[in-house]
Formats: sequence, structure tokens, C-alpha cells
Amino acid sequence: MTDLLRVHNVSKRFERLQAVDNVSLIVPAGQIVGLIGPNGSGKSTLFALLSGSQRAESGRIEFDGHDITHRSPDQIFQLGLVRSYQDPALFTRMTVLDNVLLPVKDQLGENPGLAPLHRIWRKQERDIASAAGALLDRVMLRRHYKTLASDLSGGQMKLLQLGRSLNGSARMLLLDEPTAGVAPKLARDIFHLVEALRREQGLTFLIIEHRLDVLFDFVDDVYVMHAGRVVAQGTAADIAANAQVREIYFGD
Amino acid sequence: MNIDLLATAIALLTFFGISAIMALSLNLEYGLAGIPNFGKALFVSIGAYTAGITYTRLLPLLVGKAYLDPCGETLAQALDLRVRAIHDQPGIAFLNLGLTLLIAAIVGGLVGSLVSYTALRVKEEWYLGLVLLVGSEVIRTLVRGYTPLICGINGLSGVTQPFSALDNPTLSAACFMALVLAIAVLAYVYCERLVRSPFGRLLKAMRENEPVTLALGKHVPRLRAQVMLIGSALAAIGGVLFAVNLGFVSTNDYAVGFTLDIWVMVVLGGVGNHRGALLGALIVTVLNRATAILSIWANAQGSQFEFNYVRYILFALILLWVLRFRRQGLLPEHAETTVAHDELSVQP
Repeated sequence: MTDLLRVHNVSKRFERLQAVDNVSLIVPAGQIVGLIGPNGSGKSTLFALLSGSQRAESGRIEFDGHDITHRSPDQIFQLGLVRSYQDPALFTRMTVLDNVLLPVKDQLGENPGLAPLHRIWRKQERDIASAAGALLDRVMLRRHYKTLASDLSGGQMKLLQLGRSLNGSARMLLLDEPTAGVAPKLARDIFHLVEALRREQGLTFLIIEHRLDVLFDFVDDVYVMHAGRVVAQGTAADIAANAQVREIYFGD
Repeated sequence: MNIDLLATAIALLTFFGISAIMALSLNLEYGLAGIPNFGKALFVSIGAYTAGITYTRLLPLLVGKAYLDPCGETLAQALDLRVRAIHDQPGIAFLNLGLTLLIAAIVGGLVGSLVSYTALRVKEEWYLGLVLLVGSEVIRTLVRGYTPLICGINGLSGVTQPFSALDNPTLSAACFMALVLAIAVLAYVYCERLVRSPFGRLLKAMRENEPVTLALGKHVPRLRAQVMLIGSALAAIGGVLFAVNLGFVSTNDYAVGFTLDIWVMVVLGGVGNHRGALLGALIVTVLNRATAILSIWANAQGSQFEFNYVRYILFALILLWVLRFRRQGLLPEHAETTVAHDELSVQP
């Protein structure tokens, strides 16, 4: 199995806080890997470094053999590494369908010179719309396609963000708390969807999640962060039994 | 007092057409792309200054006359040359106006797209608004002090419209009105088609969340440059028509108040809705004209009350009312962008 994402000794400092401290991790292609740790342990900052919205001060990040340490977010997206956010970060005053269509690559009508000439891109637009329809079915939002994103429920917003992340030829998704604020049943449904996507499309996932009972049922591997460092790594069973992790996480 | 109703209507509609072009341009930039362009007067004035240059330098060239300094001792001869050339050779007059519009659109668009890159250096988009606000005043002050462009503080007259050959003021004004309205209609159709496209979707996404748009693979700095290019080119076209309608170019016209008038049109009419921009342009134009006429009438009656300034009070009240009770403006934005939505409605 090839490694899709390799992180070597990456560090990031904010003012007086060492947010990410010499972190290394590996995500093999087609795996679902969990990333856990208490609040403020550096998980989301690590995601920001991986997706290019923050720059690492040292270390090296490789995605599919490309050095992406100093690439911009749009370039990293083009390679197929897509990030989602803790807060759904939707385009709120746009429809559900427009949210999902935005990330599609190579849209003719995005060129301002061609955009007013509707005949040129209409066919392509219809095609990507019907593909998006199938995607919206999967995230149970098909019948809400005309709804403004701001009018969705919290759970639907999470689902829409997941759908949007999937619609840009993604190969690997970085999901930041995909079930935060979501009812237990839907949380499990979201993880079933993740597993189905891995199985059907060979997608790879790195998932930050606090709902360990759900996460541990689906992951191949888990990394634990604390105070900017990776303090443990192993299978869900290993991590659940790890005394140090229990102390950091549950205060046991 | 007699009011020439026909002439008033023609003047009103001409102003409406010009305002509409400028409001559409700000609506693209702010309403859809979320760029708070408080330097609209700058991009409009680029059109006006371009007209100043072409009427004094290009026009003599087109009619095969020597260039005369439009400001100094040859001021009167230069003015006479311009006015005669436009009156006697309508073909040349139209060619000159066409070239002016073209050059203004190119220069305005280039300046707009270049200026958009300053946004990369500022943290919040509203700082870009401040940069543009201040930049607009700085350029205006510089042009005021730099004589060769439009004779500095004196301004430039004889920037007349190309229908003067008709020798009938009402008819030529009506023809110019028709030209302005035709350009405004084209601008509206163009903006509307632009918004109902994947490009329009991109603009809205940039407005809603810039970092996420970037993280979803879109080159945000280029996008901002593109929309500023289109918006500023439109504003410059509006500026040419504004100057040619007045027949006069002066830096006094393009102060901060000019920018704010355009903002009132967009905020009142409906941010993100082009029909709203047109409605806002109509309301602001009518209020402007109505207060101007009322003030003339009041003065003729011997009133000491300066009615002209009432419009500023009105605009402020309108803005407060809109911001308090109708944030989305009179005509709210149309949510769906493209035909994609029809595609899903026909399927089960």
C-alpha cells in the first residue's frame, strides 16, 4: 500500500504558542485515519498547514509524491487534497446546489470572457448539475437543492460541506469534526457514508473527531496529539487501552 | 416659472442611463463579489479625463488640424476647433466618441485590475475600501494640480455630444439620450448574463467566504482582478458619457460624494440584484432632479431656503431606513445562478 500523505517533522509557532511541534504522520492510500486530542492540541492547525492556509516553519509535507509544504490552498486542492472545516464554512447566501457546484474543476463558464455566452457552457453546466444531483442524493439534500445554505439545519450543513468537498475530484479528505453538533444517529450515518466512499471510490480520509465511540468503529489507524506533539499512534484498540491517552483525554 | 417638460424628461432619462451603468458596475463589484469599492469616483473620472484627452488631442488629429493648447492663450481657438469639428463632421464626432469609450474602458479596466492586487496586502476587505477611498481623492487632487490633462482647476469645456450637427437642441439631446439608454441596456444584459453563469457563482462564493473559495481550488486574486477589470471598465464608460453629457470635465465632479451617490443606488435598490441597481439609479436620479428643480422654483419665489442640500438629508434618511428595515434593499438578490437548477427540477 502506498502512502498518500506523508508529514515529516512539521512545526508551526504562533507568537508564544508552539501550536504544532515536530509532527510526523503517514496516511496510506485508501485508509481512514483518526486524529484525536484535547482542544488546543494543534489538530486544526495541522490541517491548516496540510491545506496550505498556514505555512509550516519547518518540516516537509508530501501529497502523492508532490512536495506541498509551500504550495497555496488552490494548488493543493487541484492535487486532490481537500479540507473541510469545523464550522461548516458554507457559502450561506447561495443555494445548496450552487455550493456543491462551485468546486467542480475546469468549468468553461468560469472564464469571464465566455461566461456571458451561455450557449458555450450550458451543456457542461447541465452535465455537472445532474452529477451533483446524484451527489446530493447521497448526502440526503437532493430535495433541498434550491434552499439557501443558511436555511439548512446544523446537521444538513455538515452534510452539505461533505458533499461540497467531494465534488472537486478529491482523492483525500481532511475532515475537521464532521459530526460536531450532530445527533448520534446522523453521526453514525456520516461515518457510514465515509466508509462507503472509501470502498467505492478509494478515497482516503484523515478525520479529527471527538466522538471517539463512533470514530473508533471506522478507523484503520489513530494519531493522538497533545500540546502540539503526536504522543501516541496505533489501532483504535491500542489507543483505547493506552493509559497516557486516557489521562490526557478523559482526565482518568 | 416655466419648466420645459420634454427637456426635463430627456435630461432625467439621460442621467438615469448614466447612473444605471455606474450602479451596475458597483453592483458587480460589491453586490456580487463583495469588494467594497469606495473609489468609484476614481474609475468614473478616468473615463472623464480620457474624454478630456481625446477631445483635445485625438479630435484635432482626426480632422487634420494642428493641436492647440486647450488651456493657455489658445484656449478660445482650441475650444472653437473642438466644437466646430463635432458640429461639422458628425462622422468624425462619432468616431472620436467611439474611440474615447474604447480607450476609457481599456485604461479603466487596467487600472481597476491592478488596484485589485493591493487587496493582497491588506488583511480585511474593508481596508481595500479605505485604500480606494483615499486613492480616489489623491488622484483627483493630483489631476487638479496637473494642468496639461484637463487644464487643472479650470476644467475643460467643449467636450460635447456628437449629435450637435442636428442643430436642434431638443432633438440632439433626445438622440444622445437614446444612445446612453442603449448602452445602459447593453450593460444590463451583459451584467445579468455574467451573473447567471458559473462566473457569477464564483463571484458570490468569493463574497461569502474568500479563504474557502481559495481552498476549493479557485484563484481568488485573479478572480478579484477580473471583476475589478469589468467593473472599472464599465465605470469608465459611464464616466465618458457623464462628461460628454455635461459637455465639461472638472475634477470637482468626482469627489467622495459622487461615490456615495452610487452606493446609495446599489444599497437602496438591492445589493446583488441588477434590477435593484437600476431601480436605485432611477430613484436617486429622480430625487436629484426633483430637489434641483424645487430649489430653482423656491429661489424664484424669493425663498432663502437652499433646497439643493435637502437631497443629502434625504439620502441619509433613505440609507438609515434601508439599513434598519430592509437590509437586502428594495429588490432582494436572486438566489439561483445558472440553468443547473432547472436541470434538477425536471428529474425525479
